[in-house]
Amino acid sequence: MANVAKDSDGLRIGVFVCECGLNIAGTIDCNAVSEYARTLDDVAAVIQNKYTCADPGQNEIKKAITEHNLNRVVVASCTPKIHEPTFRECVADAGLNPYLFEMVNIREQCSWVHQSEKEKATEKAKDLVRSGVARARFLEPQTELEVPITKTALVIGGGVSGIQAALDLADGGHQVYLVEKEPTIGGIMAALDKTYPTMDCSI
Amino acid sequence: MAQKEYDFKCLNCGREYRALYDIKNVTERTCPQCRSNSVRRMPEKKGAAKT
Amino acid sequence: MTNSEVESVSGFVGNFNVTIRKKARYVDPDECTACAECANICPVAVPDEYQQGFSSRKAIYMPFPQAVPSAYILDMENCLGNNPIACGKCADVCEKKCINYDDQDELINIEAGVIIVATGMDVYDPTEYDEYGYTRFDNVITSMEFERLICAGGPTEGHFIRPSDRKIPKSIGFIQCVGSRSRNGRGNPYCSNICCMNTVKDTLLLCDHYPGVEARVFYMDMRAFGKGFEDLYMRSREEGVKYVRGIPGDVSENDENKNLVLTVENTTTGRREIHELEMLVLSQGVIPRQDGDQIKRLLTLSTTSDGFIMESHPKLKPVDAPTKGVYIAGCVESPKDVKDSVTQASAAAARASILLNAGKTRVEAITSHVETDKCNYCGICADVCPYNAILAPDRKAKRAPTIIQAACAGCGACAAECAQDAIIMRHFRDEQIMAQIEAILEVEPHKHLLTFACNWCSYAGGDNAGTARLQYPTTSRLIRTMCSGRVDEKFVLHAFRLGAPMVLVSGCHFADCHYINAVHWTQKRMDRLWNKLDKLKIRPDRLRLEWISAAEGQKFAKVMRELENSVRSVTMEEMEYTMKIMAEEENRILEKKLKAAAKKV
Repeated sequence: MANVAKDSDGLRIGVFVCECGLNIAGTIDCNAVSEYARTLDDVAAVIQNKYTCADPGQNEIKKAITEHNLNRVVVASCTPKIHEPTFRECVADAGLNPYLFEMVNIREQCSWVHQSEKEKATEKAKDLVRSGVARARFLEPQTELEVPITKTALVIGGGVSGIQAALDLADGGHQVYLVEKEPTIGGIMAALDKTYPTMDCSI
Repeated sequence: MAQKEYDFKCLNCGREYRALYDIKNVTERTCPQCRSNSVRRMPEKKGAAKT
Repeated sequence: MTNSEVESVSGFVGNFNVTIRKKARYVDPDECTACAECANICPVAVPDEYQQGFSSRKAIYMPFPQAVPSAYILDMENCLGNNPIACGKCADVCEKKCINYDDQDELINIEAGVIIVATGMDVYDPTEYDEYGYTRFDNVITSMEFERLICAGGPTEGHFIRPSDRKIPKSIGFIQCVGSRSRNGRGNPYCSNICCMNTVKDTLLLCDHYPGVEARVFYMDMRAFGKGFEDLYMRSREEGVKYVRGIPGDVSENDENKNLVLTVENTTTGRREIHELEMLVLSQGVIPRQDGDQIKRLLTLSTTSDGFIMESHPKLKPVDAPTKGVYIAGCVESPKDVKDSVTQASAAAARASILLNAGKTRVEAITSHVETDKCNYCGICADVCPYNAILAPDRKAKRAPTIIQAACAGCGACAAECAQDAIIMRHFRDEQIMAQIEAILEVEPHKHLLTFACNWCSYAGGDNAGTARLQYPTTSRLIRTMCSGRVDEKFVLHAFRLGAPMVLVSGCHFADCHYINAVHWTQKRMDRLWNKLDKLKIRPDRLRLEWISAAEGQKFAKVMRELENSVRSVTMEEMEYTMKIMAEEENRILEKKLKAAAKKV
């Protein structure tokens, strides 16, 4: 596979650049990144926000999906580990399949780690946005598999934490298995005389 | 034991060493000198005496 | 289920299949009335673990009077033998006839929707702090031993006596941070959280039991940060407990009276002081469970550098494990006191209830599927799958492999190993990743380090470096895959073809791999690639491999700093040569594929 080519007819990608207050904008020139994003093929809209994850930012995404008839959304902000679910839900609310969303991390892996190299960090952010847009072109709608949850919990360890967790779950009406290695539950707490700060008995 | 001695070379610092290794059931390799994981198992030389 | 251990876990969120080994107890806990006749007649006495070895128990015993279940257990290691001729006394006296020497371990299979890990902690053994004389001097004890000696249910019925002469000591010292906050290779560098307040509690217990007793606490910093803690600490000071800022450098024993002589630099006054005390308590730290590896491996949990289990997110998901449907509570996560353990346990139970109440959940659509017309029935996909989620193809019947969607976790090792590109990873397709590679290397490719990072460890490690604001050069351009096992040979070769000076593949340490052993395939593939580069006369060291865990932000930043220089060391001539060679190589592979396809038709 030498060059990946894809029929780009009908692709309408929206790029949302987040400033995250000064967390991103303090290091990266977000205006320059937005300007750059506008020059990329298939990009139909570029919107910059102070906080894309906040309600106003999410509303902008939803509005843009309708107004610009977007069929791919790229958000350049923080790590997908935090807000990928947020944005997937957001685009789904606007009627787009959540898997047509792509996230570009320009905070944890860019602005926060290159604080004294503003220009180079901005160049890196542009490269990452370009990469995100390139990937977005190839995104496809997906259907998630729904799996049933067995209504039983397993708690491993019968010390104070395990006992509490098991009791709470059982009180909530769930079946619980509590597995303890030792012949008795109680763990280390059972070997204590009194517990602070109330100086009451441990057992 | 399926372990045999192989030559390893760290691609980070250049350190070369021999160590026991099981090529079927690979385990994590760490350079004893620089702690890098870019440790290459060198191809076995043909005709080299087996240990 | 007490006296039981988790033996194996398979499945996924909502559908865990767990095998539990219920170890032989030799006493039927339902029948046992805890009458104690068996223990009374048992001739074997061994040190009582619960009482920290201060007293003895029998080979058939109850761990402590309030034990749950309230039943005896036979310690087969110390029992004279299950041969009734050898002993058998307990079975004879048991009226309920509930002792069974032939009891066997039992394997029990259960289905669980969610799992809460609350496997707790161990305490630090201060023996290696030789200067404190624990185990050398009779009257030096640990804080756990203190608990038993002061307890009314303890071996001395609450009379706090010192081991050497069984007299009640008039002066007692406490040394703090034993095995904690240590940077000298002994013990651990972290603060164990509970020991300061535990000692404050201990001093108050002493003052309460023995008014006028002299207690001295030797400390680095007293940390009384929780609700009600400062009040308790102040009460202790008001009771006359002396707090000396300074950790003793040496403890010796007075030969005559077995008192302990401490030499300490009081860092408040700057003076060297000598304290003679009748008894000394070492405030031992908390350590991760020493037998925790099995659970970690079964549930693919990772640990932070201190050895405690790592949470999904330090602030936003503190009780979720990275494995969906698994939660953590208590000291397995970090050292904590009873209140915090209970709080975290309730939080974990509440988080688990969300799934249990919902009754269903969605799994990310990142599984694999097979394009059957491309398959050549080689079967490698079924071999590499860590989950046995692929039903092997049948060459004779020309049946392509089948992927069990519910069992596929989406690592992508099969797709990377498939030479026919017949396996497609949903949401991590070849085209998607290739497009990223091409986009990254479109502008000034020779300046950048193309990095592949796995979602769970290395990418999270990169995030960790960011959260900690660890600064590193801007060289790297990163592509996230679910597992390093997804990184296809062709991704790496294509990057070199497009002018990348260096490529870094990073993933989880073998022990942390979120896809059981998919990382093995990464290692094997790297060996193949290194050999291939060598053969093509391209420096193998332009392709790097690093295992970086989610907690290793430091390592992530260090690798980035080191590779910055390596990237610069690659000359333009080298890159141009590589691009040429790789273009030829890619064409060769393409031709081979076309030929094979033509043959098939």
